[in-house]
Amino acid sequence: MSEQEIREGMLLAVWDEPPLDFDPDKLIRRVEQKKSRRRALVAVGVATAMIVVTSLALPGLLPRDQDGQLASNGQPPPSSAPPSVSAEKKGQRIGDKLTEKLGLRMTNFKEVYASFRGGAYAYNPNSPTTPPQRPWDPELSGFVHFTDEIGPTALRVILTKDRTVAEQICAGATTCRDVAQSDGTTVTEAQIMEGQELARSVVLRKFPSGYFAEISSFNYNPATGQGLRQAAPVPVEVLTTLVTDPDVHWE
Amino acid sequence: MRKADEQGFREFAAANAASLRRTAYLFCGDWHTAEDLMQSSLMKMYMAWKRIKDLDNLIAYARKVLLRTWLDEKRRPWRRAEQRDGELPDAADATVDPDTTSAKLWARELVHTALLQVPPRQRAVLVLRYFEDLSVAEVAVAMGCTEGTVKSQTARGLATLRTVVEKLDNSSGRVAS
Repeated sequence: MSEQEIREGMLLAVWDEPPLDFDPDKLIRRVEQKKSRRRALVAVGVATAMIVVTSLALPGLLPRDQDGQLASNGQPPPSSAPPSVSAEKKGQRIGDKLTEKLGLRMTNFKEVYASFRGGAYAYNPNSPTTPPQRPWDPELSGFVHFTDEIGPTALRVILTKDRTVAEQICAGATTCRDVAQSDGTTVTEAQIMEGQELARSVVLRKFPSGYFAEISSFNYNPATGQGLRQAAPVPVEVLTTLVTDPDVHWE
Repeated sequence: MRKADEQGFREFAAANAASLRRTAYLFCGDWHTAEDLMQSSLMKMYMAWKRIKDLDNLIAYARKVLLRTWLDEKRRPWRRAEQRDGELPDAADATVDPDTTSAKLWARELVHTALLQVPPRQRAVLVLRYFEDLSVAEVAVAMGCTEGTVKSQTARGLATLRTVVEKLDNSSGRVAS
């Protein structure tokens, strides 16, 4: 087969070509549509990338306060909700107030100080380990430590939303009564006597929001589990004045 | 794109669409695919028109784009699956001379069937050299290779084509010259 025959054969191969229905305008329109689709796709891609980069970079760029919380130039947040306070900060604030108020009420107490912790149930501050978190643990718990004539001991303070605290307060109590407050809250006062001596005095303030604030005085040091004494050092009346003090913001 | 440029492309496309489709048909052996290849090539050229409109030999550039488009298309897996080597006419054409038609059909089938059995790059060289009547240098430019490669691919392509044609002739009882 010569080259000439190949040439002729190729020409013959296309002799019966179908009619060409080609419109350059249609082709141009298709290209323009393709271009605009590509531009839209690129724009969406760039916008997505910018959103991702911004969301990743923004937390690192904003100034932070001492607790590592994001700050906003000292301005309060625009919403009407109260500013969120970390449990530790709240515990410190309540502890300071209770220390102050207890010192005023019980002038014989020395070395009064508070130790609070968010989340965990009342614990021994001297313990080298932190107890594991449990579902029923309170929002905030701690102790107000003091030293009286007998020796060092403490009041236990709990702030929780767990209703079982309210349900169990009167269990085994020698006396138990509810005292309605003018602000809509209710204070339950309970005393557990062992013979003639006060083994435990406890007050529980119930807030309409569902919060419960409990202060207890034991005939031992609840912070250490030791220091057994004849009677609880703080009577229920003093605990009531502490739990209802308007300067202590429990919620 | 400016109206003048768009008009220039429109004229170029209208003038060369048919010849590009023929070349594409010899590459791929299917008129539908050939039309797709031609349109894809022209679309690519339209997108680059601002840059290429002043080239000396636009049709050579168009052939190059067509060849690249076809080779790219061939690499796609769904194109490899189908290998057509002929198609039956829908109905007999009674208006033409039977002897002439028979000769044309034989030539077409012989070249076309044989051509489809030649490897793609060798087939491209044969089509550009013997159908488009390009020189070795022009084919080298279109293929993006050296002239030596064009010559060797042409020799190999011709040898393959002749072998296939010989086999086809023997099976159909005709003798190739």
